[in-house]
Amino acid sequence: MPHRLSESAAQPPRLPYAFDVQPWLQHEAGRSSRPGRWVMLAYRVPRKPSTPRIAIWRRLKRLGVAKVLDGLVALPLDSRTRESLEWVADDVLAAGGEATVWIAEAAALSQERALATRMAEAVASEYDAVAEEAQAAAELEPWLRRRTLARLRRELHRIRRRDFFPPAERERAEAAVAQLAVTLAGAVRR
Amino acid sequence: MKWATRRHCHIDRAACAWLIRRFLDQEAEFVFVDDPEELPPDATPFDMRGVELSHHGGDCSFETFLRRYELDDPVLWDIARIVHEADVDDERYDAPEALGFDVALRGLSMVVDDDRLVALTGPLFDGLYELRKRALMLGREPA
Repeated sequence: MPHRLSESAAQPPRLPYAFDVQPWLQHEAGRSSRPGRWVMLAYRVPRKPSTPRIAIWRRLKRLGVAKVLDGLVALPLDSRTRESLEWVADDVLAAGGEATVWIAEAAALSQERALATRMAEAVASEYDAVAEEAQAAAELEPWLRRRTLARLRRELHRIRRRDFFPPAERERAEAAVAQLAVTLAGAVRR
Repeated sequence: MKWATRRHCHIDRAACAWLIRRFLDQEAEFVFVDDPEELPPDATPFDMRGVELSHHGGDCSFETFLRRYELDDPVLWDIARIVHEADVDDERYDAPEALGFDVALRGLSMVVDDDRLVALTGPLFDGLYELRKRALMLGREPA
C-alpha cells in the first residue's frame, strides 16, 4: 500500500493521457467553453553566475514557453510538457534558485486565448523566416540548395516541436520547403 | 530488487528499465507511481525529480545510470546518444535514429500500459544493442 501524508490530503493531479495535447484545439473542436489545463513554472535564478541563467532561459525558449510574467512561464499541459518543466525546475534549484511547478487552469477563456495567440504569433514569425529562406534558396546552385533544404527541414522540425497552436504560417513554410525539394528532384532528373 | 519510476513511461524510463534488467538486476521488479509520495520504501527510484538516478547536469537518466554504475561499454554509450536525443532533444549528439524511436515509443505508450511497454521495448533495445555493437565493430553500418 503506497503511503500518503494523510487520507484527506488532496490527490496529486493525475497525468493526462499522452495524447492529451493541445487542449486549445480540442476546445475548438468540441465547442467547449472550458479552458484547458496548463503546466506553469514559477522560478527565480540568481543573477550571477550568468551561465546557468542563460542555459535555463535557452531551454525554456526551445520548449516554446509562454512568458506570463517575469519568472512565470506556461505550456499547455501534457505528460511531456509537464516533465520538461519539472526537469528545468530541478536545474533552477541546482543553480541555487527557486522553482515550483503548478498545474493551472485559466479562470477565463479569454485569458487562455491571449496566451495561446501570443504563442502562435511567436512561432508564426519563425515559420515566416523559414518560408522566406526556402523561396530565396530556389535561385541557388543545386548543391547549395540541397544543403539549405536539409537545414530548413531540421529547422521546421525544431519549430514544430514548440508549436502548440499551429498558425496558418506553418502550412506556408511547409509548402515552401516542399517546393524547394521539388526543384531539386527536377535537377536530379535533368 | 524493486525499482520505481513515474507512470507513463517514454524512452528514457523504458531504456533504463531495459538496462537494469540486462546489466544490473535480472530479477528486477518495476513499480510505476504517479507521485513521489507513493514510492515504496524498499524500491530504488529512477528518472524522478530529486533522486540520484535521474537527470543531472544535462544528462538524461540513462546516461546517469551509465556513469553511476560505471558501465563504460561503448555500445551502451552509443545507445545513450539516441536515448538522450529522443528524450531531451537538445542536439547535444547527432542521433538521426532518435526521431524514429521517439515516435515509436510515444505511439506504443498510447496503447499499452507501462508493464507491457517495458516488456515490449526490451527486445527492441536488445536488437538496437546488437545492431550498434556490430556497427562499432565493423566501423560501418552492418547489412
